[in-house]
Amino acid sequence: MTSPALELRGVHKSYDEGRIEALRGVDIAITPGEFVAITGPSGSGKSTLLHMLGGLDSPTSGEVLFKNAALGTSVDLDTYRSQDVGFIFQAFHLLPTLCAIDNVQLPMISTNCKRNDRLARAKNLLEEMGLSQRMMHYPNQLSAGERQRVAIARALANDPEILLADEPTGNLDSVNSAHIMEILIGIQKKRGMTLVIVTHELEIAHMANRHIRFRDGRVEA
Amino acid sequence: MSDSALKASPLSLSLFVWKNLWRRRLRTILTLFGIGMAIGAFVGLVGFSNAFESEWMRIYSSSGTDIAVIQQTFLNTSLSEAAGKTLRSLPLVENATPVIFNLMALTPDVNALAYGWKADSYEFDSMQILSGHRFQDGKPEVMLGDLLADQLKKKVGDTLEIQSSPFTVCAIYHAGSGLQADAVIMPLDQLQELSSLQGKVSTFDVRLKPTPVGESREHYLKRAQAEIEAALPGLRAVPAAERASNNQFVQLAHASAWGTSLIALLIGILGIANTMAMSVHERTREIGILRALGWNRKHVLLLIQLEAGVLGLGGGLFGLLFGWCALHILAALPQTASIVSTTLPAYLLAEALAVSVLAGLIAGALPAWHAARLSPVEALRYD
Repeated sequence: MTSPALELRGVHKSYDEGRIEALRGVDIAITPGEFVAITGPSGSGKSTLLHMLGGLDSPTSGEVLFKNAALGTSVDLDTYRSQDVGFIFQAFHLLPTLCAIDNVQLPMISTNCKRNDRLARAKNLLEEMGLSQRMMHYPNQLSAGERQRVAIARALANDPEILLADEPTGNLDSVNSAHIMEILIGIQKKRGMTLVIVTHELEIAHMANRHIRFRDGRVEA
Repeated sequence: MSDSALKASPLSLSLFVWKNLWRRRLRTILTLFGIGMAIGAFVGLVGFSNAFESEWMRIYSSSGTDIAVIQQTFLNTSLSEAAGKTLRSLPLVENATPVIFNLMALTPDVNALAYGWKADSYEFDSMQILSGHRFQDGKPEVMLGDLLADQLKKKVGDTLEIQSSPFTVCAIYHAGSGLQADAVIMPLDQLQELSSLQGKVSTFDVRLKPTPVGESREHYLKRAQAEIEAALPGLRAVPAAERASNNQFVQLAHASAWGTSLIALLIGILGIANTMAMSVHERTREIGILRALGWNRKHVLLLIQLEAGVLGLGGGLFGLLFGWCALHILAALPQTASIVSTTLPAYLLAEALAVSVLAGLIAGALPAWHAARLSPVEALRYD
């Protein structure tokens, strides 16, 4: 049996000295190359779950495991975020002072990637996203769909095994949403990546290999 | 490959730093001016005090003074004139001449250094009398340096009133040092009376006999110092170079220069700290994005510290320009022209730049530490 790429074991997360419980004992195992969609109402804890999976936040109790090693103890969170996981956000989160190709190079600065290799890789990724004519454009010169494609290229910069997307189509119209999903699914299949998407849209959830429903900080039966 | 791709260049940390600073260019430029003014003050004032020290050294070297004999205590600068006889009797001493110096108000607008010498002092060897004759001991006569004479519009035969006492200008002289060219020299006894220091002198300038063959100059000076101090307990024999840098005027000039510079520098540091704190505050979410993209705390710390360091370096370069301008302005003013050198020594430039970068790093330390400590998820949520 294949060991999970990502696993949550009894994960609890509370804020405000325990008064707010975002996650209440979550157990999930995600196999390598799997496409998982997580849905649930606002405040159900799905984004918190994604932050845990991405090593952006730590559980109050329980464990998050990457290839059977606990994040934060056996696996350094900075190294994990830098090398093993890529993030895509609903609001794109591109840096406004950097053009598209510079935004894509940004994650590679924190690695040992050589300067010219960074540039070549960023160019290839943007070409792959169909943005070869928009590399020198700044975020405010790009459409929402283009910005999200730059963000996807940036998430792939360090060639991670896992791609985490938090409402990646939340700020896009239906045409751009479909395009972005086409790209994400294409990447996941081509590269054999593990893809976890948090979404409100059931249409997107139905495209996934597995659909996890969340409510009140728990996985719904 | 597309045209736009051809224009792209690798993104380095330094380029990222530059872009971050340039995005708020007005704030960056104002901060650069702030630290630049501080470094300018440092360059101008420390440059001025160093030039002042050099002028003192020039006085000693041009007259051939090897050692100055002074009181052991810093504040008590007067010693008995009678010590001169003992000094002149020592085997290594060729000549010892008593000196008094004081800062005197010659007119309501003009202050000048006043030297009291004996008429037979060897100090006269290094100066050129342009008109008139050397004063005589016991007479109310003064010799004016050419720069001071120009400033006071006095010539030989005129009367100069000093502390309500009339003195006849007996000579106009030229000296190599600006401190002497802009000074008044009078008989020792006259200045002793004006300063209420009868029987006292500020220092004895000592010229040693030639260094014996086979003995190093340094060793000879040490031997002479020991001989003088043994003969005159309670007094210090100080080599001329050390005296040039340690006399109370030079020390006061250095202390004023450094004190004023440090205050200016503190203000500059606060300016950079404010800029960096605001920058970190405004970019909280961006820092969260960087952390989400795999930047660790050290990278964030380095980014903010580099930005602060670049502000320091840039401010330092502005400061060198300001300092250079300030020295040129001082060199053009009649009151300071004789002392100020417009040449900035390399060590002072390096020192100013090092101080400036250090100021930037100190100012950036707290904002950088704050930025590095931000939780990625909280930073991402920040509005």
